[in-house]
Amino acid sequence: MDEDILTTLKILIIGESGVGKSSLLLRFTDDTFDPELAATIGVDFKVKTISVDGNKAKLAIWDTAGQERFRTLTPSYYRGAQGVILVYDVTRRDTFVKLDNWLNELETYCTRNDIVKMLVGNKIDKENRAVDRNEGLKFARKHSMLFIEASAKTCDGVQCAFEELVEKIIQTPGLWESESQNRGVKLSNQEEGYGGRACGGYCSML
Amino acid sequence: MAEEQKWSRWAWRRLRMAEETDAKEPCELVGKQLGEPGRFAYAALCGISLACLFPEKEQSSFRMEFIEGLVKWLELSDAVLPAMTAFTSGLGGEGAETFAQILLKDPVLSNNPVIITQDLVSFSLKDGYYDARARVLICHVTWLLRIPLEELEVLEESLLESLKEQKEEASETAEASRRKKERKRKLRRYLMIGLATIGGGTVIGLTGGLAAPLVAAGAATIIGSAGAAALGSTAGIAILASLFGAAGAGLTGYKMKKRVGAIEEFEFLSLTEGKQLHITIAITGWLCTGKYGSFTAPWSSMLQSSEQYCLAWESKYLMELGNALDSLLNGFVNMMAQEALKFTVLSGIVTALTWPTSLLTVANVIDNPWGVCLNRSAEVGKHLAQILLSRQQGKRPVTLIGFSLGARVIYFCLKEMAQEKDCEGIIEDVVLLGAPVEGEAKYWKAFTKVVSGRIINGYCRGDWLLSFVYRTSSAQLKVAGLQPVILDDRRMVNMDLSSVVNGHLDYMKQMDTILKAVGIKTKECRLEEKGNPSPFSSQGERRQPTADGESQEEESTLGDDDSISHDHWSWQPVPSEGLHSSDRNSDLAHPEDSEFPGSLDASRDENPAGLEKPLPTNPLPCPDSAAHVLGGTFLPCPDTNDLKNQAAHQGLD
Repeated sequence: MDEDILTTLKILIIGESGVGKSSLLLRFTDDTFDPELAATIGVDFKVKTISVDGNKAKLAIWDTAGQERFRTLTPSYYRGAQGVILVYDVTRRDTFVKLDNWLNELETYCTRNDIVKMLVGNKIDKENRAVDRNEGLKFARKHSMLFIEASAKTCDGVQCAFEELVEKIIQTPGLWESESQNRGVKLSNQEEGYGGRACGGYCSML
Repeated sequence: MAEEQKWSRWAWRRLRMAEETDAKEPCELVGKQLGEPGRFAYAALCGISLACLFPEKEQSSFRMEFIEGLVKWLELSDAVLPAMTAFTSGLGGEGAETFAQILLKDPVLSNNPVIITQDLVSFSLKDGYYDARARVLICHVTWLLRIPLEELEVLEESLLESLKEQKEEASETAEASRRKKERKRKLRRYLMIGLATIGGGTVIGLTGGLAAPLVAAGAATIIGSAGAAALGSTAGIAILASLFGAAGAGLTGYKMKKRVGAIEEFEFLSLTEGKQLHITIAITGWLCTGKYGSFTAPWSSMLQSSEQYCLAWESKYLMELGNALDSLLNGFVNMMAQEALKFTVLSGIVTALTWPTSLLTVANVIDNPWGVCLNRSAEVGKHLAQILLSRQQGKRPVTLIGFSLGARVIYFCLKEMAQEKDCEGIIEDVVLLGAPVEGEAKYWKAFTKVVSGRIINGYCRGDWLLSFVYRTSSAQLKVAGLQPVILDDRRMVNMDLSSVVNGHLDYMKQMDTILKAVGIKTKECRLEEKGNPSPFSSQGERRQPTADGESQEEESTLGDDDSISHDHWSWQPVPSEGLHSSDRNSDLAHPEDSEFPGSLDASRDENPAGLEKPLPTNPLPCPDSAAHVLGGTFLPCPDTNDLKNQAAHQGLD
């Protein structure tokens, strides 16, 4: 099983407090929903293997706490992340406005500039929408992010959000192959070895 | 002189500060003082450190138990467990530095980061079992927080100091409780019960010896004054009795009840008077008539911990061997020949045939006692293993150090322990000097399970005597005492002592210098530590900026290119001219490791991602008791530059 895993990706979920980061994750990993989910302390961690275009990727997902008092801890998780999911609540305009701050923080602490970003507008099941879909889309385009609206409660778009993110990461080879951690490297090494041999054969023929 | 005063004032202030903190919050644990983010960072830092120090599969249960216990201890919600589990299994390690910074910035710690160390010690001792791995972890975390490791020792000592100081007071308490029960009990039993009551009602086997009741009597006082509040909560007596061995008398009380195997003599001699939470056992390699006629003689300057023992074993045979060695070197083989031999050995073309016939004709002088001692040392090693496994020394970390056949005793001790269950967490560091044992890495692999801190192999390439006595056993071409052991593990540290050790006999004669070279504390070092004011005063000043931001610290650490492998001891700002010697261990063992300390500092500020990889492999960030000396105590070593050259030379080989 583990043999087919192409790579392990570090995914980070960030956003204001109460926008539903943990709920999104819980829906994605355990397919459950808890309306009374307690606030995250520090960071939560979950692993899930998903298959995108026939490639299996193991996702190590770090779900950060949105509460201000844990904000100091957030920089610890940015390092080495390949993908980040930026969440806002479509019913709370302030969570959308604060996205700029989050992007700034991302810029500051992230160790790579080609990190794949996904903007998720959560809680679309609610009726009192305060942020229009187009606004979100515009913002995402402006900052070259992927965009989706979702609802952890109704399961809308959750799977899609993660899949698209992973797909994009896998399509950006430099992003995960350069990591010395997993199969990606071994594969490329093998290819190199093969290439080297082929070259050797060619030379000797001359 | 003024500087000295300055230091002592500083140290005193720090102690006062710690006391004041205790006074203000008498029973307040760090768990309650720190905010939730702080506690989270603290636990995460421990988790990451555990993953980096003990990545082995067989250690996973220790890692998990430790972190789960810590989460409870810090009163964190169980919801953090998945993240902590991820940290302890090696994920998210890149955040270690950030967590450390966060923790240092916490207002509770701002002036006194040593609280964390203190809390960790209390946590580790709470079950009456000071695991060697826990101590290594504490050292590591202490290092990550830029706290000089002396602080840890001071802390551990203060635990015991308070025991001694409060002895009288405690016995008064015992007296009081004795009176209460006077009517009901017979006089003989009062003391015992009174003591047990202090500890929280747990009546335990205190009958064993003298030390245990004494230790137990102080249990209540440790709780308040030394800040180890939690120790007292349930069964202080049980904890302390367990730490020091319930038998009280400990190692010196050990008597070989019957002849074990072929062993005729096996006894622990006390080298120091003190008591300490970790102990050191030194093992002598041979005895000679005259100055080095006793087992304790070579270790006279050693002061690795204030509780040290020396193993006396098979003196009859060791004396025979020593005299044979002596007569061989002083009589049969002249100096010229010895020098020639040294270089022959150095050149590495030794085969049985190249030995001079003059030497071969006298070979029987040495071969017989050597052979006898080889066998005996193996037996003694196995016996030592059984003693350590049965915790005669109490449940606290042990450091073993030995030269020549003494190192062989250690080798076999480790080998025996590795085969047993529950062998982990007993041994902290081992130091093998000029060890006449197999140097093939695969035989040493098993030791990583037993040793929590470092495995130091001190060798000398030109040790022709060792080479000579091994000439016949062609199977063992690799002898640890002659070359590095190429074991890829953070614990393994090889040290070329060629510049200090001119021949095998020097292991005994130059022990003082060797101890300094391998980073074992000596009396001189301890004095220096106290007497040398600059490291401490500047470190006191420096700690403040570290808490606020790292820019200044970077300046101090990256300023000196030469001593790059020292940079991470930034809190121990030793003048650069004295630094080189400690490059040696990193240079020698694993070249990739030697880059690390530098890269750590670089990564701290410039390339944060760089931290990710080196951390788990590097032996240095686990500054155990031996390692942490590297920064400060090398100064007196006269051969430092030579050693460095040697190291560089070594690298070319």
